[in-house]
Amino acid sequence: MMTYAQAIRHVIQQEMRRDPRVFVMGEDVEKHGSVFGTTRDLYKEFGPDRIRNTPISESAFVGAALGAACAGMRPIAELMYWDFAFVCADQIFNQMAKTRYVFGGNAKIPMVLRSQQGTGRGNAATHSQSLESIFMHIPGLKVACPSAPADAAGLLRTAIRDDNPVCFFEHKMLYTTQADVPEDPDFCVPFGKASIRREGADVTIVANLYYVSQALEAAEALAREGISAEVIDPRTLVPFDYDTIAESVKKTGRLVVVHEAHQNNGWGAQVVSQICQMAFPYLDAAPVHLGAKACPLPFNPALEAAVIPSVSEIVAACKAACYVS
Amino acid sequence: MASIVIMPKQGLMMVEGTLTKWLKREGEPVAAGEPLFEMETDKLTITMDAEASGTLLKIIHPEGDVVPITRPIAILGEPGEDISGLMETASPPEAVPAPAAGPAPAVPAGAPGRRVSASPRARLRAEENGVDLTAVPGSGPGGLVIERDVKAHLTSRPAVTPLAANLAKARGVHLSDVAGSGPRGKITAADLPGETPAAPASRSTRAVPMSGMRRAIARNMLASKDANAQACHRMNVDMTAVIDLRRQYGDLGVRVSYNDVLIRVCAKALTDFPIVNASVEGDRILYHDYVNVGNAVSVPGGLIVPVIRDADLIGLTGIAARSAELIEKAREGRLTEAEYHGGTFTVSSLGMFDLDDFVAIINPPESAILAVGKIAKAPVVITNPLGEDELAIRPMCTLCLSYDHRIIDGAEAARFLQRVKHYLQHPVLLI
Repeated sequence: MMTYAQAIRHVIQQEMRRDPRVFVMGEDVEKHGSVFGTTRDLYKEFGPDRIRNTPISESAFVGAALGAACAGMRPIAELMYWDFAFVCADQIFNQMAKTRYVFGGNAKIPMVLRSQQGTGRGNAATHSQSLESIFMHIPGLKVACPSAPADAAGLLRTAIRDDNPVCFFEHKMLYTTQADVPEDPDFCVPFGKASIRREGADVTIVANLYYVSQALEAAEALAREGISAEVIDPRTLVPFDYDTIAESVKKTGRLVVVHEAHQNNGWGAQVVSQICQMAFPYLDAAPVHLGAKACPLPFNPALEAAVIPSVSEIVAACKAACYVS
Repeated sequence: MASIVIMPKQGLMMVEGTLTKWLKREGEPVAAGEPLFEMETDKLTITMDAEASGTLLKIIHPEGDVVPITRPIAILGEPGEDISGLMETASPPEAVPAPAAGPAPAVPAGAPGRRVSASPRARLRAEENGVDLTAVPGSGPGGLVIERDVKAHLTSRPAVTPLAANLAKARGVHLSDVAGSGPRGKITAADLPGETPAAPASRSTRAVPMSGMRRAIARNMLASKDANAQACHRMNVDMTAVIDLRRQYGDLGVRVSYNDVLIRVCAKALTDFPIVNASVEGDRILYHDYVNVGNAVSVPGGLIVPVIRDADLIGLTGIAARSAELIEKAREGRLTEAEYHGGTFTVSSLGMFDLDDFVAIINPPESAILAVGKIAKAPVVITNPLGEDELAIRPMCTLCLSYDHRIIDGAEAARFLQRVKHYLQHPVLLI
């Protein structure tokens, strides 16, 4: 058994042992072990050269990691919050995403940019956002979103070994969740392969990160009312496994996509659009897309809960799609 | 699961094929790879093998039908399988209809044609199971028919034999209105209201000998197709000036037909292009220094081509007078042999039958024939006196010149047709 945070730390440790080019840089990653302990004590084994503390300048250390990647290293850069990606947006969207392309493939970018995001700790408007849709929108970045410890381990290992820039989205409320993680030092979860977390026949729920657990909770509640929900976690947004979802919708005829990211222009809209193209004749109801309301995330916990989708909203959406009142 | 057999595409240019022979009868089993039917394209006759094994449940298109490619022609499946759903998909409006077996059934109220509000999935299930969605009550918002409504309808629907299902569809009968007399209420063909129209007791074929005129036409047309290297050019002509010309003659009390003008124009163009006025005899080209233009006239039982002799010499009013006389004699069957022999070129007009254009067969031993379509107003782009392009409505006519490529080359034929057009658009040159 391992927590989500331990699984991430474990994979970083194993990959750093396996490949001397892998190193970590970010704010408070050394002795502090990063905010959620994902690099705890690693400096003792690898020293401050490979677990590098940086000044509070995201542009500087993300840019430095990108340069190191171009020069043949395999950096893992850690932002303290994904919200800070806007500080170094040029480094991420104009440089990381495009360097391999604009140099005609001459530069590989074997770089991972990790951070955590989301609500649940009262971190308020500038420390609670769910931003993965934006990274999906800009071509050139792979986007991984593990919802469980084993996926965190398997996807992170795939990310570190990938020769392209990967943005790795963790959720702050998942770090303490516990589950079995395969011991295999080469355990990788392939990108672009969704995970069917629960099988069902009446409605397909697609969710990522923390909302996989919310979707599973909703499925449990729906089962008590005689509705069988299938829960699918795409696991990576880029590449995206539309096929698994389309197959599921062909079976169930109904689609509900839910994420903590804002609903308007969230990645769920893209999923609905694609599935309408791929499985239109099989739809028995209009697909539903749930996400956070178009409102900065409030500090007050009660207000925060009102902005993001609730389990009961997911249940209600599924019932509406099944024409059950 | 029943499957549809389609008219296969055999070759890049094929758009339709003729079913010449079914090698299996309805109800007969067929194995994959076994010959199923014979078909004909414009290029070849070919035997097609079955792609799947099963029973030939339904022949949608009988022998002789011309069917566009990819359209369903038959249904293969298991005996007794309900193919009414497939039949529905197999008979879209663009399919060439099989000969009707009787008067079309009246369409009952609320039957196909009414727009049903249904989810895509409900439509899919309905199609798979041959369910008429208009008969399914919807339980979704605003009466939307959803999948479970179709499923409920399927379980409550009375069982029906495939034949009865097909007949019901053909007669526009709602099966929900029919009481079944078969086992457990199964609806059979006998339960359906209305009767299958019986075919007349004996229908046969009768042989009638060809008339002499028919034999001559048959012989000439075949000989023409056989001996000539026929090619064809098409050109659009603005008839504004010709219409004016006719009106001007009309003002003088002289009746001149369009055909007379065409004969006059062709006669003049033929003197400009002697090769179009020539004929072939063995290895020699016979140039005629006379221009005799035939005028194809439809008569009861066939057609005949009285000839306007010296059409290049007698002027338009001369042509009009001679032509009126010959047409009258032709219709009365009083033409002498000399009056329909010796032509060097023919004009054939079928515009009065609303033809836009058509291709005529050369009347041997002539070497060319002009087919004239109807005059119809059409939008054309013209250049106005200011040098600007603008759209105008003009009386347009399509001319189609069939010519014998053995002696007339394509460019020569084109120049001849161009000259005809020029004279028609500038009839002052006929003076």
